[in-house]
Amino acid sequence: MKPLVNIARYHLVDRVTYLALPWGFMIFSFLVNLVIASMVPSAPGGYYTGGLLTLYCFLFACGALSMSRSLSFGLMLGVSRRVYYLGTALLVLVLGAVYGLGITLLQAVERATGGWGLGVNFFRVPWILDGPWYQTWLTAFVLLVLFFLYGMWYGLVYRRWMLPGVAAFIAAQMLVGLVAAVALALTHNWAAFGHFFSATLSLPLLLAVLAALAVLLGLGGFTTLRRVTI
Amino acid sequence: MTPTISTSALSRRYHGQVALDNVSLSVEPGTVTGLLGRNGAGKTTLMRIITGQEFATSGTVQVFGQPPAENDAVLRRLVFVREEQAYPDLSVAQVIRVASWFYPNWDRDLAGQLLADFGLPAGRRIKKLSRGMRSAVGIVIGLAARAELTLFDEPYAGLDAVSRQLFYDRLLADFAEHPRTVVLSTHLIDEAADLLERVVLLDHGRVVLDAPADDVRGTAVTVSGPATAVDEFVAGYPVWHRQQLGSRASVTMPGPLDVAAQAQARALRLSLEPLSLQQLLVRASGSSADEKVSA
Repeated sequence: MKPLVNIARYHLVDRVTYLALPWGFMIFSFLVNLVIASMVPSAPGGYYTGGLLTLYCFLFACGALSMSRSLSFGLMLGVSRRVYYLGTALLVLVLGAVYGLGITLLQAVERATGGWGLGVNFFRVPWILDGPWYQTWLTAFVLLVLFFLYGMWYGLVYRRWMLPGVAAFIAAQMLVGLVAAVALALTHNWAAFGHFFSATLSLPLLLAVLAALAVLLGLGGFTTLRRVTI
Repeated sequence: MTPTISTSALSRRYHGQVALDNVSLSVEPGTVTGLLGRNGAGKTTLMRIITGQEFATSGTVQVFGQPPAENDAVLRRLVFVREEQAYPDLSVAQVIRVASWFYPNWDRDLAGQLLADFGLPAGRRIKKLSRGMRSAVGIVIGLAARAELTLFDEPYAGLDAVSRQLFYDRLLADFAEHPRTVVLSTHLIDEAADLLERVVLLDHGRVVLDAPADDVRGTAVTVSGPATAVDEFVAGYPVWHRQQLGSRASVTMPGPLDVAAQAQARALRLSLEPLSLQQLLVRASGSSADEKVSA
């Protein structure tokens, strides 16, 4: 366990990348939205932003960096690829839990202050980051972990096959989407698919799907790391 | 005793290019081995496979009696200082602090001493350091880690002569107090020669020489003087290399010479010079790569 914790600590030494930038930029985005919200006439349903996405994008970038820029020295430290990956995954879980809690707290403040007095919904994303506090926390956590693991896989693909590899990786994902879309069309299941999203899919089910996706991304990244040479 | 490193018929091919070809060697605990050879001879590939960072195409490698790849029990007992190690965007002090968490025998005082000796500014970011200073960071980690197996791959790119000497001195001093197994790959053979107990010479991925350094020294002499006298003297001996400038010739031949031959050389007013390790290895990895140098 100690090597895993040490790998997590190794990443956290770079506080600018893992702490200051994600939160700094998200707060900046939040303030920009507050200023804009104070200038525009208040909408009847409240003011919605997509600004929270900046935090998720930064975690994606952190994931990519953790498996590209930090990898070479990380593997100099007498650990296997497996320990390096699991240690980073430990960091992901801790950051996801803490940052998710941060979002949950800020959402509670947002609700209590009537959207910061301006009807702004920055930390509340209807249907996804919504509901009781523990539900918001859990969803935020799963999504943060998902983005980080996805970034890690990109970093590893880049590390192993450089830009052509990343291009092929993106193309492969588009192909998977295309095949799924064509299959839905050919089997005339688009309507059922839409129905599934609008009616059947509940938040717990969505969470389960996202968590399964996160596990899948984690396994994909780990498989890619297994044969990485530095 | 289990050898610290043993490889058997180890080969590595990249897209048809042979980087390592049937390498079988064994490194005993508590020794300093020089891994020598030209650029592209396979030194780095060999060290990367030994440290589990690269995978062999065929053959086996064991470190402390176990395969090293993905083996934490082996990996935590070794440190590998690579030429041009890439670091994340951290300061010198941060990198040293991180390293100290991972190596069980880490010596904090030694690390501090070495940082001062090499004049490394603790607060400076690694990416702002000069090439030589970045190399020095790797050396500090390699020495202060006090790992049972310490591998240095050309650790002093860009380091000046004073710092290189400092590295040799520190390595020797610390090795004497805390014996460990050291493998050092280097181009600066004569500089490091006194350090090496054993030399392994790679050429085109193959081991062309594997012998105690003392046996290798003195295995060849250069005889020089008037061409006619030189030719008279070397008649009957195998000649490795001959060059002539005007009426003077210089011939490299296997040594060491016995007393009678030395007396004869003096009588002919010829000068005898043992070939340095470096010159010897240049010969051995030169055109005659197929001939094994007998030591």
